[in-house]
Formats: sequence, structure tokens, C-alpha cells
Amino acid sequence: MSDYTAKAREIAKKLLQDGTVAMVLGWEKGDEPFVSAPAVIRDAADVDRLVVDEYCIHDLATLLPDYRDRSEKIAIFAKGCDSRGIVRLIQDRVMPRDRLYIIGINCPGMKDPNEFIRAASGLSKAKPADKAVKCLYCQYPNPVLYDEVIGEIQQPGEDKRFAEVDKIESMSADERYEFFIKEFSRCIRCYACRNACVACNCRTCIFDETKPQWVGRSTDPVNNILYQIVRSMHVAGRCVECGECERACPVGIPLMLFNRKLIKDVDKFFGPYQAGISLEDDAVPPLSRYRVDDPDEFM
Amino acid sequence: MKVLPADKIREALNILAGEAEVYAPLVRGDVSGYIKWTDGPGDELALDILNTYMPPKHIVMPQTENMYKFIATGKDAQVTEIVTAEGPRIIFGIRGCDLQALHALDLAFLTRGYEDEFYKARRQDLAVIARACYQPGPACFCESMGVDRLNPEADVVIHVLGEQGLAWEPKTPKGKDITAKLQGILVDKEVALPQAADMKVKVDITGLSEKLAGMFEHPVWDELSSRCMNCGVCTYVCPTCYCFDIQVHNRGEAGNRFRCWDSCMYKEYTQMAGGHNPREFKKERFRQRFLHKLQYFNERYGANLCIGCGRCIIMCPNEVNILEIINKLKEVQVDA
Amino acid sequence: MPDLDRHTNPLVPTMVKVVKIIEETPDVKTFYVTTDEGIPFKVMPGQLAMVSQLPVGEGMFSVSWQAEDHLQFAIKRVGLLTEALHEIEPGQTLGIRGPYGNGFPVDECKGKDMLFIGGGIGLAPLRSFIKYCFAHREDYGKITILYGARSYADLCFKKELFEEWPQVPNCEVFVTIDNPEEGWDGHVGFVPAYLEEINPSPQGTIAVTCGPPIMIKFVLQALEKMGFTDDQVITTLEMRMKCGIGKCGRCNIGSEFICLDGPVFTLAQLKKLPPEW
Repeated sequence: MSDYTAKAREIAKKLLQDGTVAMVLGWEKGDEPFVSAPAVIRDAADVDRLVVDEYCIHDLATLLPDYRDRSEKIAIFAKGCDSRGIVRLIQDRVMPRDRLYIIGINCPGMKDPNEFIRAASGLSKAKPADKAVKCLYCQYPNPVLYDEVIGEIQQPGEDKRFAEVDKIESMSADERYEFFIKEFSRCIRCYACRNACVACNCRTCIFDETKPQWVGRSTDPVNNILYQIVRSMHVAGRCVECGECERACPVGIPLMLFNRKLIKDVDKFFGPYQAGISLEDDAVPPLSRYRVDDPDEFM
Repeated sequence: MKVLPADKIREALNILAGEAEVYAPLVRGDVSGYIKWTDGPGDELALDILNTYMPPKHIVMPQTENMYKFIATGKDAQVTEIVTAEGPRIIFGIRGCDLQALHALDLAFLTRGYEDEFYKARRQDLAVIARACYQPGPACFCESMGVDRLNPEADVVIHVLGEQGLAWEPKTPKGKDITAKLQGILVDKEVALPQAADMKVKVDITGLSEKLAGMFEHPVWDELSSRCMNCGVCTYVCPTCYCFDIQVHNRGEAGNRFRCWDSCMYKEYTQMAGGHNPREFKKERFRQRFLHKLQYFNERYGANLCIGCGRCIIMCPNEVNILEIINKLKEVQVDA
Repeated sequence: MPDLDRHTNPLVPTMVKVVKIIEETPDVKTFYVTTDEGIPFKVMPGQLAMVSQLPVGEGMFSVSWQAEDHLQFAIKRVGLLTEALHEIEPGQTLGIRGPYGNGFPVDECKGKDMLFIGGGIGLAPLRSFIKYCFAHREDYGKITILYGARSYADLCFKKELFEEWPQVPNCEVFVTIDNPEEGWDGHVGFVPAYLEEINPSPQGTIAVTCGPPIMIKFVLQALEKMGFTDDQVITTLEMRMKCGIGKCGRCNIGSEFICLDGPVFTLAQLKKLPPEW
């Protein structure tokens, strides 16, 4: 990826200089070599801060809703997964296509700065992986939507996305219950999974509602499970498998396992469907679609 | 000096746990924290990691804490029980940073007008066995925040000697009582204490609180907050963040009121019933957190609400870094 | 059952009974609460108390008057708790804890002319001070009350406003509503504009204002134009509150907690705080 940064700076500089965009959402280096961090660049003189390297794991699209009520045009760097998130934001009417200039990144897979920071911090004895968990079975390494693109076309990884889901499905009901309780009981309700999620773009989240309050604020298995089930059901058919929720989780809950179960079911029962791969009219998520000839009487 | 041999640490914790709730740095799967010692399977005593991911604040303010129970029937209602959790507790192996955090919590909960009785109940009979910190990590900056990492102000100070075990120094009468309980397993021995490594990260915060008092409306907050996604990770892993919510739980006629950790990062935190929210947007919530840490708490209590443990830096999914923020805040020009 | 009536835990309520409910407007009711032994605690004008309908929730309200044998709260229906409170009937047991906050500087205002400017439910906290001035009439000079609401129906404390207060010696009451309506021959228009029309003299006068944020903003501008200094202007702030004792964190403005150091501030004090109010 050594030439990505130079190319990224060149594109950003041109876009800011000729006024095509007012700001660029990209990455800059942190204080350690293994830290790349989301950055907002508004001045062509600052483009040398930009980098695109193997630590640019963050889905910048999750920051786009911050700018939803404004009008400036935004250039945003997008890996394959991030571009699917952008498609979702456009379909959810959070951000119109014409406010975005998408600089695609053909992505060979990223390393997770958090794993490296944790290993270096002395707080963990775990060794960081060469490829982040979220990138292991990536099926869309190349952006599905872009105005221009950096890098060589990448090949998708092996599709073992549902191997863990199959394991859970083969458990007995009691075993599954035990499993869920164990995983969710350590949730600290920090809402990092929600805030890191590009599909979680509601103006007022159900978990912030107070009138009525739908889910109790106490951290106990019941309310934690209620929170997590509602959260994953809300993104069913809209999750783009960027894996940011699981990466953001400070207590290591395997959130993608639950998301993938729903991805699998939506595909099987309402599909074939993959979220965020097309802007065509018929590509809206099955659970967000209204059809007069829907086989179910739901209204 | 008294030494607790490495192969007796478990026994010592079991002895202490017979008379008090003992909280020790344990690794449990993906989580590490000051977890109640039960000598149970699956928990690994972690004296060889720098610090735990989760801070020890839950010992004095559990994430969810029952306050009182009530019964409400028709027009009648009464409180039936106030739930305060007195009792002996021991924190084992806490470092100077987390101990200073505990002292900051004491200021917030026990001074300036009211004493918080739920906090006090857990705090008053708490003994601290603190650990001198010889090998700080790359995200540590406790010294810059005024922490004495080699001589924490505790009831007992321990020094980790590796295979030789722990050098054991009682410092207070309470510490001597604890030491007496371990008389049978502590040995007297000449030992050399480890060499203290230097702390690499330094940041000078002299005058920062005063400077921040004139920076509330500074445009730098837009830039600093831009990468934050307003989740609550930093506030929940912070050993000093103490803000809480009060909520109610009902089941039929019986119910209880509890409090739980809350976060200034959440929109709902300041959302008023009538619709107004003084901290509606990300920048305002982000600014509140850092000004609370670096200015407001200073003005009110004369102490920092950051103790330089680095947990927020390590845990933030979007690489928000309080050191970078402090440095930027120091750098920027403020119009007079 | 343990004796929980005498506890000293500041976060646990004591029980009071609602003895009377007055419908002030379509969405404001005044609740009279007391205990068998009299008022649950003494409050100063402007102080707050946390009122709870136990199974629903707790909310911070200004005490709109401390009578000899009961406390009064004028409460507007805006959220979950206040909706529940509006459903209750006399005889209901509620929880209460307090008093919280600093209250109005009743002593510092002695010997001054008083100008009260309120809007909507904002008259509730002012009322405690107004009635205090009436109860200690000789301690205060001329009293001017300017109050406005959206419509006639939305005016709180109508009996006092139109019948009782104008009878008090050396007291003038001005009332306005936002829009003209049938049967109303009084003033029509917003409070800040009416204030400029009345144009009270700042000489020896303290202005106390409470109401919706937008009204306060323009009232403060008008007062400044008339020559009121920042020390002569008092207002009350509102933030979301949970604990009431300066611990839970959310009601801070700068390093001040509204529940503890407020809710009453002079404009001079406010200008030293971050502009988050």
C-alpha cells in the first residue's frame, strides 16, 4: 500500500484547491507508527497530514451523520466495507449522493490499531494479528461506489463468514441460552457498538428515548440482552459487515456473530440480499421495503 | 523486609477473603479488572500485566447500585428499605494512578456540602494494598498528573519481585492489622527492590486549567472532537469518571430505585423533559468531558480529574488521545 | 417495618401526602403536599425539591410557596413524570427530598424596589419570592410584576394575579398574552416588548426574571438597555438534574452545579460562567 498515501494527498489537494469539496474525511498518523486516526482536513495546505496505510481500519462513514444537517460537499475515503456503509447512508437519506466525493480504496485488509495499542500498553499479553478479525472473510475489498479509486483490484477472502453462526445454530436451545447469557453479561452498555455502526443513524436512538424508556439502564443480563437483541434486530438487513461494532467493543463481545446470523437469515428468507452493494431502487433492505404484493399481512 | 512468597499469594488472598471482600487484578476472558476474589476457575491473577482494562471504581460505585426499595399500592407508597452496603473491603494490587483516582472520587462524593451515604458505606471500611509501579507503559503519564507511583499513599504497599514474590510494607494501623492476619506466611528476608524505569511520556499541565477558563468558545473544540463518535467507552474505563443516573425499576407493586453509571458523551444525559438540550451536539459533549477533567474539577476541588492511567487512549475505538488533546490545548492561541 | 421516616440519607425521599390539587391552566397544576407532622422541611423562596411518584420517577421542581402547613408545587405537564403527576388525585402519597439550591437573595434585596418578570410556568419560582415580599411588605419598596403567557388560559395563578396582588399596597401588576383573543381586553404582546413599554426605572431596583430561555434572553437585553447593571438582575437556571446534591454531574455549568450553587444567579455571576445556559 506504499503508494496509496501519495495518491490520496494528490487527490485531496486537488479537490480542496479547486473547491470541489469543503472538507476531506481521511486518516492521519497518531503518535505511534501503528496508529492511524480519523482526521478532518479543510485546508489544502494540510493535506500532507493525510495517510492511507494498513492501519486505516476505521469506517469513516460512521462520522458522516455529524454533517447531515449541513450543505458542504465532503470528500471521504472509503474501503470496500466503508463504501457499503455510504450506500446505506444514501439509501437511509442521511446524506445525499451529490454531497459526497468518494475516494475509493481497493483494500488488501487492515490491521487493527487497537490490538497493537493494547499489546504495547502492557495491559494485554495477546499478540496483535497481521490482519484484523473484521477483514478475515471480507467479500467486498473493493469499493462498490466511488468517484475515483486508489490501488489495484483486490481478491475477496475465503467466505467462511457463517462458520461460527452454523456452530451456534447446531446448539440446543439451552446451550444457546447459556452462550448468550455468558457473552452479554459482561456488556458495560457503553454503546460503542451502536455509535461505531453506520446503520445506527437514527436521530434519536431508541436507547436514548425516555418517553417511554424502552430498555432499562441497569447492567444485568436481562437488560443487556434486550439491548443487544434490539440493536442487532434494528440493523438486520442493513448491517454491511464492516465489523466496527465488534472492533469497538471494549469487553470483546462477538457482536458480528449475531449480526451474521441475521445477515444469513435475511438473505435466506427475504433475499437473495446483501446490504449496501447497490444504489438501485430495488436494492433497499428487504425489511425497509414496502410492496403491495408482500406475502405477509403485516399492516 | 517482609516478603510474601510467590507461591503463597493465593493463600494470602484466601485468608483475607475470609474476612473481607477482596478485589484483585484478575483476567477473565477478554476482560480484566479488579474482580472480587473467589479463587474460582477461569480467573487469572494478573500481577504481570501493567494494569486492568476496567478501573477499580466499581468497588465504591458499582455500575448498577440499588439505593432503596419501595412499595406503591394505589394512593399509598412507602420506602421499605435503604440499601447501603457497609462491610470490610480490600483492594489488592491497585497502582498509584488508580489510588489517586479513588481520592478524587472521595472529593466528589464526600465533600462540598453533602456526603453521599451509598458511597460512604462502601468507602469507609475499605483498605488499600497498593502496588509500587516500576515499569510504566507507553500510554502512562501519571507523574504529570501528580501521582507518586513508587510510594502510593496506601495501608500496605507491595513491590512485585517476580519469582521471589511480593515485598510487603505495612504503612498504617489498618495495614498492620492486615499484615498480622498473614503472619504465618509472610517471611522476613533481605530483598532488593526493582529498578524503577523512567516514565517516557511527560506533559506539563501547569496553568492549563486557568487557560481553559478562557477557551470555552475556542474553535479548536470542533477540530478536537471531529474524530470522536460519542460512545461511552472512555467514561466507563476511566477510573475517575463518576457521573451517574438515577432510575427506577418496578415489578407489580414493589420496586426499587437504583443508580447506574452515566456518561456525558450521551445526548440523553442532559436532555430535559421539555425538549431543550444544552449539550445537543457532539462538540458540546466532548468539550464538557475534557473541561470537567482539566478545568472544572480543578476549580471546584483543587485536583485533576485525570490521573494519567492511559486507559481512554488504549480503549478508544477512534483513537481519541487525551495527551494529544492536552498538547493541542496548550499550543493554541487564545485571543485576549 | 424499619422506621424510615427519620433517615438522613439525602438521596432517599420522605413521604408526603397530596392534600389539594388546583388546575391552574390546561397543562399546569398546583399540588399542595404535607405530612401528618406538618411541612416535611423548610424552604426559602427559590429553592428546589425533588418530587417523586415512586414507581414512575423523580423530578426537580421549584417550590412555588411554603405555606404554614404545606408546600406548593406548580408543575407543568411536559414529560413522563409530570404526565403521571397530572393523573393523581388528593390523598396520593408522593416522595420528596430537599430543599436544594441557594434560593433568592431575600436579605440582600431588602430596601429595594422589586421588579418581577415572568413567562409561562416561570412565574412558579418567582411567586415564592413575590409572596415572601408581601409577607414582609415593610422590608421591600415598590413591587412591580410583569407576567405573560401564550393565552389567557395559560396564565397561572389567575386569582392572585387579577384579584389579590393588585390589592397589595404599592404593587403594580402587568399581564400580557401573546396573541389577541375574544374576551381579553388586556395587553397583547411578548413580555420583553411590554417591559420596554412599561420602562421601569433601574434606580434602586432589583429585577428578577424567570421564563422560557428565549424570553429570558430578550428580557436581559431590554433590562440592559434600560440601564440595569448586571448586579441588579437575577434569574434562575434550569438543567436536567438527578441527584440534587452536586454529585451526579449533569447539571453543571462550568464548575458550578445548578442544584447546589444555583438555581439563582445574578447576571454578573452568570457572565463569569461558560455560555452554556
